[in-house]
Amino acid sequence: MNDTHPTFEELIDYAHGELAPARDAALHEHLDACRDCFEAYQAEVQIGDLLRVHARETERELPLGFAQAIVRNATERRESFWERWSSVLRPLAAVPIAAAVLLVAYFGFARQGGGPKRFDPSYYLEDHAALAASVPFEDAAALPAMLTSDETPEGTDGTP
Amino acid sequence: MAASRRSDEAPSDAQTAFLESVVEQYGKATYNFALRLTGNEADARDLTQDAYIRVYRAWRSFKPGTSFLSWIYRIVTNLHRDELRRHKGRYLVELPEENDSRALSGATLSETPIDDYVERQFSEPISRALDGLSTEQRRIVVLADIEECSYQEIAKIVGCSVGTVRSRLHRARTQLRKLIDRHMKTSTS
Repeated sequence: MNDTHPTFEELIDYAHGELAPARDAALHEHLDACRDCFEAYQAEVQIGDLLRVHARETERELPLGFAQAIVRNATERRESFWERWSSVLRPLAAVPIAAAVLLVAYFGFARQGGGPKRFDPSYYLEDHAALAASVPFEDAAALPAMLTSDETPEGTDGTP
Repeated sequence: MAASRRSDEAPSDAQTAFLESVVEQYGKATYNFALRLTGNEADARDLTQDAYIRVYRAWRSFKPGTSFLSWIYRIVTNLHRDELRRHKGRYLVELPEENDSRALSGATLSETPIDDYVERQFSEPISRALDGLSTEQRRIVVLADIEECSYQEIAKIVGCSVGTVRSRLHRARTQLRKLIDRHMKTSTS
């Protein structure tokens, strides 16, 4: 629908008397002039009418003795201990329970190693020591250039 | 819609008198509202009973001069929602409808075969279309179109914003229109 014609949503709101006064008046005027929109509006009104007719047809009386049973049950039935206290305790208990759940979740997560992995330098030192031990007579050799300085030792860069 | 409350009696007597008065005035409306939400008598009875037990216990929180129906509908709506969350409906099988008002009065609403035909033509598709809506949509349609509550009242009863009521009703009506058309076609063919 374009700007001048109402949408179906507006027609539903109009049928329920829920449009703003200015829009309600504009739509009222439009429906007088526009046959298509008026038919669409009538269809919405008809659905409402059918629903109310159906509701009237299917309306039931209260079952026999039910009203008395409601009063009897309500007045005779005592609130259980839990029912009485649950409404009071529920808001009071909510905050500590939420805090406990958060704490358990946090520490449980941390214990399982879910946090950031820590750097363990001893592993690399031991690894280096083991490598060095496996290559005898190499202690005197020059260390790789990249680990010591920018200068390239003579005869180690592979150039003639 | 305001219920009277006698405050000069002893608390328990006044409480019971209040309950008797509201059950007498609004019991039938409450029961029918519950029936439309649940779709079966057994659940409707339980819901009505539970709602009035709440009313009895919280009777002092009802402000005279305000709408009792809005209050009781809100209680019924909340209980129904809780029940659905807990058990997904207490009874899945429809129980015999021994308390049908038409059966009790001994006369049917449609007196002639033509009336009967017309009733079947319209009532059945509407009934099936309502059954085809989701619980939330049916709740909104019942409140807006059958109980004729304003969007503001529905928002209070259902516990959401007016905008939510509006959008839910639009979706429900669109769905309802499709379902009614479909069931009308199948009932006439």
